[in-house]
Amino acid sequence: MTQRSKYKNILGLNRRNQEYIRPFNPPSAKRIADNKILTKKVLAMEQIKTPEVYKLIRSKQQLKFLDWDSLPNSFVIKPNQGTGGNGIIVFYGKKKGEFAWIRPNGSVMTKNDMILHIENILDGRFSMGNKKDIAIIEERVKTDPLLKQYSYKGVPDIRVICFNGVPIMAMTRIPTKRSNGTANLHSGAICTGIDIATGITTYSMQMDTSSPFSDTYEDIDMTQDLIENKILSGIHIPEWDNILEIALKCQRVSKLGYIGVDIALDAEHGPIVFELNARPGLGIQVANKAGLRWRLEKVRDIEVRGIKHGIRLAKSLFGGEVEESIETISGRKVVTIDEKVLVYHHNQTKKKEGDKEYARAFMDTGVLTSRMSETFANRIGFFTTTQYFKSLNVPQKFNSIKEAQEYIDSHFKALTLEEGIKRIAKIVDGEDVKVRPVVEIKIKISGEVKDIEVVLLENSEYHLIIGREVLKGYLIDTSKTFRN
Amino acid sequence: MDYSTFTQWILEHGVPEKTLELFLAITIVATIVSIFRYLFGTKSYGIYAPILLAIAYSYTGLKYGLAITFMVITISLLSHLVLKKIRMHYITRIAINYCLLSIALVSFIILIDELGLGLENMSTVPPLALISIAALSDFFTKQFVQKSSKSSFTALFGTVLIATAGWFVITRDYISNYVINNLWLIPLLIFANLIIGQFKGLRLKDYFRFKSVIKENDTKK
Repeated sequence: MTQRSKYKNILGLNRRNQEYIRPFNPPSAKRIADNKILTKKVLAMEQIKTPEVYKLIRSKQQLKFLDWDSLPNSFVIKPNQGTGGNGIIVFYGKKKGEFAWIRPNGSVMTKNDMILHIENILDGRFSMGNKKDIAIIEERVKTDPLLKQYSYKGVPDIRVICFNGVPIMAMTRIPTKRSNGTANLHSGAICTGIDIATGITTYSMQMDTSSPFSDTYEDIDMTQDLIENKILSGIHIPEWDNILEIALKCQRVSKLGYIGVDIALDAEHGPIVFELNARPGLGIQVANKAGLRWRLEKVRDIEVRGIKHGIRLAKSLFGGEVEESIETISGRKVVTIDEKVLVYHHNQTKKKEGDKEYARAFMDTGVLTSRMSETFANRIGFFTTTQYFKSLNVPQKFNSIKEAQEYIDSHFKALTLEEGIKRIAKIVDGEDVKVRPVVEIKIKISGEVKDIEVVLLENSEYHLIIGREVLKGYLIDTSKTFRN
Repeated sequence: MDYSTFTQWILEHGVPEKTLELFLAITIVATIVSIFRYLFGTKSYGIYAPILLAIAYSYTGLKYGLAITFMVITISLLSHLVLKKIRMHYITRIAINYCLLSIALVSFIILIDELGLGLENMSTVPPLALISIAALSDFFTKQFVQKSSKSSFTALFGTVLIATAGWFVITRDYISNYVINNLWLIPLLIFANLIIGQFKGLRLKDYFRFKSVIKENDTKK
C-alpha cells in the first residue's frame, strides 16, 4: 500500500465537517448538544441518566438569593453552553463552618470566588460566541473503583463516536496530574483506545503539552503520575455493552447523525451521560491507531435495524483490535488475571527437594515487586524466615517512606541476618508504609520457570500476587478467571 | 502610471486609488487565510485579525510591524498575569489592558527615540496602523482567558505567519500593479475560495498529527 493511500483511512477536519457534520447534524440537533440543560431534558425522554441538577442560575438576581447552605459538600459548577470543558469547576468538599469549598488540587474557593465565577459564566465568558449563559450546579460523579485506580483525582470518561446507528470508535480519557484532574486531552489527560468488540483498552497516548505545536502526541503504556503507576492496556471497561447501547440511544434521541457521546461510570449509578458532542474531535484515531474514515464509509449505506443490530455490526466490523495488538507484540504470553502458578518449595528439611505445589496467584499491575502471603510462605519452607522476622518486632507501620528507610538503614544488619531474607522492602499498603522481608522463590508461570523476588505479607487473600517485575512481557486477559 | 480601461473607469467615478488598493489587498489576504486554514491547517484568530495585521504591516513595514506586535503581546501578557490576581469583571480587565497598552506603546516610541535599537523610523509609523496592531491584544487575551495560553500562542503564531505571508504578497509592486489592472482576478479569487471550500482532503497538519496511526498500520501489515 502506498503512503498516500494509507492516509486515505484517516478522517481530517475538512472531511469531517463537510461529509459528516454538515449533512448529518442538522442545526436543531446541534442546538441540543450545545446546550447541557436541553441535553438533559432530551435524554430523560429515553430514561438515560445524566448528573442530577441541584441548581440552575439564570441571572445575577437569582445568584444573589442562592441558598448556599442547601448545596451538598461536593458538586460541580458548569456553564450551560461551555465548550471544551472550559469554566467547569469540581468541588470535593466543604470547609467546616465556612462558606468555602475544596477543589481537587487542594485549593479553596470562597463564596466570593464562586460568585465571581458564576457571574463570569452568566456573562458568557465560557460560552460559544460569548452569549449570555446559565450556570448549572450539579452532582459530582463518583468514579467507578476500577477506573479510579488509573486516574489522578478527577473523573475519567468514555467517548463513543456513533454514525448511522453504529458505534464507530471509542476511547477513554483519564485525568492526570498534568491535566489538573480534568479529562481534557489538550491539558494533558491520557487518552486510551478501546476495542469496540470487547471493551478492552488498547493503545494510550498523551498530548505533549510542552511542544510548541498543538496536537503532538506521545505514546505511553502506563499511567504517569500516580504513586504506583499502572499499565493502561488490557483494562476491561465495565458494562461495555450497556455503554454502547446508551451511546446509540443518545444518537437516536438527539437526532445527531454523527455524534460523540461522553459517558462516565458512576460507582453507584453505572453509566451516566456527561455530554453530547456534535463536533467530536479526531484525536480518537491516534488513541486507537486506526482511521475513522474507512469505518464511517463502511457503515454509511447500511440499513441499521435497531440498537442491538448496530452494536452487532460494530463488533463484527471494527472489533478485534485486541487480537491484532497481541499479534503485533508477538512473543508475549497471555495470562489470566487470576492464574494457577506452580511454586517450588524452598530448600528445606521437612519436605524433599524439588517439591512443588499450585498456588492461586493474582496478576496486579499496580505493584512492582510480587507479594506472597506469610501463611503460604510457611508452607513452602520459609517458616524460620517468617518467625525470625516476627521476633525482630519491627513497627507495624511507618508514617512515610523516608521514616521506613531510616529504620531499615539503622537496623539493616539485624533485619537481613536470616539467610532466607534477600533484602528488605518498603511497601505502601493503603495509607500505611510497611517494612517487610523479601525472599526469592522459584515459580512456573505460563510454562516458564522463573526465580522471582517476593515481599512477604502478613495477610493476603491470595497466596501470591504477581507484580509488574514479573509480568513484563505478558498480556493479561481479564475475560477468564481462575478455575480449580 | 497607465491603468487599464476598466480600472480607469472606476477611478474616474471618484473611487480613491488607495481605497481600491486596500480592497484588493483584503481580497488577496482573505484568500491567503483560507489557503492556510484549509490546506495547511494553520490556526489563527479568525479571518479579520490576519487581514488587519497584514495591511497594518504593509504600512509599517515588516520589521516595525513585528516589533510592535511583540510589544503588544508582551504587554497584554504581563497585564493579564498581574490582573489575574485581582478579582474583577472581564471587560474591565480588557479596558485596563488597553490603558496599559497605550502607555507602553508611547513609552516604547520614546525609548526607541533614545536608544535606536535598529528601529529609528518608529515615529513615522502611521498611528492607525499602530492601533490596528494593538487590536491584536483583544484577540490574544480573549483566547488566553477562554481557552488556554497554549491555544492562544498557537493562534498568535498562525495569525502572524499568515499576516507575514499576506504582507509579502500585497507589498510586491508587480503583484499589486498587475491586480489593479486585471480586476477580473477578483472573481477568480471567489472561484478559488469555492474550490478550497469544497476540499475534503487532509490538511498538511493532519499528516503530522496522524503519523503514528499510519506507522501502526505499517507494522500490522
